[in-house]
Amino acid sequence: MDIGILLQILFWGIYAGCIYILLATGLNLIFGVMKIVNFAHGEFLMIGAYITATIFYFTGINPYVIILFSMLALIAIGAVVERLCFRPILGTGKLNEIFISIGLMYIIQNGAAVIWGDEWQSVKSPYEGITVPLGPLTIPLDYIIIMVVTAAILCGLYLFLRETKTGREMRATSQNRKGAMLVGINVERIDVLSFGIGCALAAAAGTLWVVSGQVFNPYMGSIPAVKAFAIIILGGLGSIPGAIIGGLLYGIAENGAAYFLGGVWKDAISFIILIIVLVIRPTGLFGESGE
Amino acid sequence: MGTNLKKDAWMRFITIGVIAIAVVAPFILYNLYLLNVLSLMLIFIIFASAWNLLAYSGQGSLGHAAFFGIGAYASTLIAVKSGISPYVTIFLGAAVAAFVGVLIGLTCVRLKEWFLAMVTFGFAIIVQTITVSILTPVTGGWDGIASPRLLSPDIMGYQLIEYYSILIITIASIVFIWYIMKSRIGLAFSAIRENELEARAAGVDPVRYRLLAFALSAYIAGIAGALEIHHIGYITPEIFGVDLSFWPITYVIFGGLGTLAGPIVGTIVLTIIWDGLKMFNLTFGRYIIVGVLLILVIIFLPKGLVDLPDRLQRWWKGRKQKYAAPAPVKE
Repeated sequence: MDIGILLQILFWGIYAGCIYILLATGLNLIFGVMKIVNFAHGEFLMIGAYITATIFYFTGINPYVIILFSMLALIAIGAVVERLCFRPILGTGKLNEIFISIGLMYIIQNGAAVIWGDEWQSVKSPYEGITVPLGPLTIPLDYIIIMVVTAAILCGLYLFLRETKTGREMRATSQNRKGAMLVGINVERIDVLSFGIGCALAAAAGTLWVVSGQVFNPYMGSIPAVKAFAIIILGGLGSIPGAIIGGLLYGIAENGAAYFLGGVWKDAISFIILIIVLVIRPTGLFGESGE
Repeated sequence: MGTNLKKDAWMRFITIGVIAIAVVAPFILYNLYLLNVLSLMLIFIIFASAWNLLAYSGQGSLGHAAFFGIGAYASTLIAVKSGISPYVTIFLGAAVAAFVGVLIGLTCVRLKEWFLAMVTFGFAIIVQTITVSILTPVTGGWDGIASPRLLSPDIMGYQLIEYYSILIITIASIVFIWYIMKSRIGLAFSAIRENELEARAAGVDPVRYRLLAFALSAYIAGIAGALEIHHIGYITPEIFGVDLSFWPITYVIFGGLGTLAGPIVGTIVLTIIWDGLKMFNLTFGRYIIVGVLLILVIIFLPKGLVDLPDRLQRWWKGRKQKYAAPAPVKE
């Protein structure tokens, strides 16, 4: 076994994990505050990817800068979706949320297909072809930037949740909704905000997806989203460190499976891990009661 | 009591009417394309009803295409290898789907509703992966394989016979589901769905009944899948796709979750909308319209279209009483 190949897989895994971490963190935030299950989260990743690609196509601005536009746009879109679709059914049962998500998937995927067409597309990063030698590896510069950007976004989120008043209100709402209401927090405003931020994180993931040169089409979002759910089930609901560890684990496991078993196993392996974990621990690896 | 009786009579009347329309439909339409649409609609009524039966026991599956596809593949392979008529292998293939359903049910019985949704979604992907990797020698991989037709196209009017065969199997499946829902098993299912703890206190073993629901639902979904594939004559791993997992859910939510008539009404109405929109040449627009309708139904009509007559009646009564006396609060 060549140690270089193992390291390469590890590195690809970490890079793929970055996208999962951003998606899973967003889902975790939404789940933590609103306790809703949004299976259509991957669709926001897809919109983020397309917004970045479109702005890049027309202006040629560095795509790593466009990430900010894309995130802002998705905060707005997320707020609208929350207001129109999720708030009316809040508290009516988990299955209803899943059904709403299915409706959203139909709308968003095919809406994107109407606007941008349904062919696979890709974008060339400005740093394409530049590699950095690191020990036995040669690493594309893009991958390193992606990891740095992910870390920066996560640190920003951490500081926001920890230091700002709104962030504290969000954490309070996620710990105890009624208690938060009692101390005068406008929980509905917090709902909209956390849904928007969750979507913005998905948009960041989508942008990184595009920048790394991976192909995308309007239907690309559903499987990463479900994997992100698998990650937060593994990592513990509401736990952001759990999402980070789970995301990295999934990225590495997938790339390992793709290398050793063949590319078709890439998606299946994540669900095999999920099923094995849930058979052993029905509440997830670090979950308390699952709900 | 009196209104109940009246309602029962109405239901009987509607049921007989729908069956009568289904029987004479081929002669009125007299169009092979529409006959094909009708056949597929009947198959999807079976599929949606199967999903609904599982939901009736309080479990939601996002990967029912797995059972649909396993039934289809198993039936095709048995028919190809042994030469038995598809009319028999449909039920054998469905048995394979039921067996797999019990296996996946075993991993799922302890899970919360949306964990379960995740596992079933992933399960469909795993099955698809296995079909195109390990099982390629028998399944033909991504290319798929030809499946024996229900009837040889040499027979005169084979489309008509096929349609009536499907109609009979559809009616039989629905009667079967109706029988289960009315029986003690159905009572146990709804007891588990409403309150598992109380059900257990009343002596209902939730694990056993959940597995039973999985097996029955997978069996019926397998029949639907096998029927579809023998009707089309070709099978590919696309059958395990997300699309086919979501359609029965859409139909059931549209018609009314947990009711016998819900999947039937939902499938018929959505098929009419879907094929009606085909005239406007909307490739993606059709999905958007279905998505919007689905969300509207979930928000404004949580019990589905079957609840619409009751809602209208209540609204009408409420309107009349608005000026006379305060309306009694129902529910």
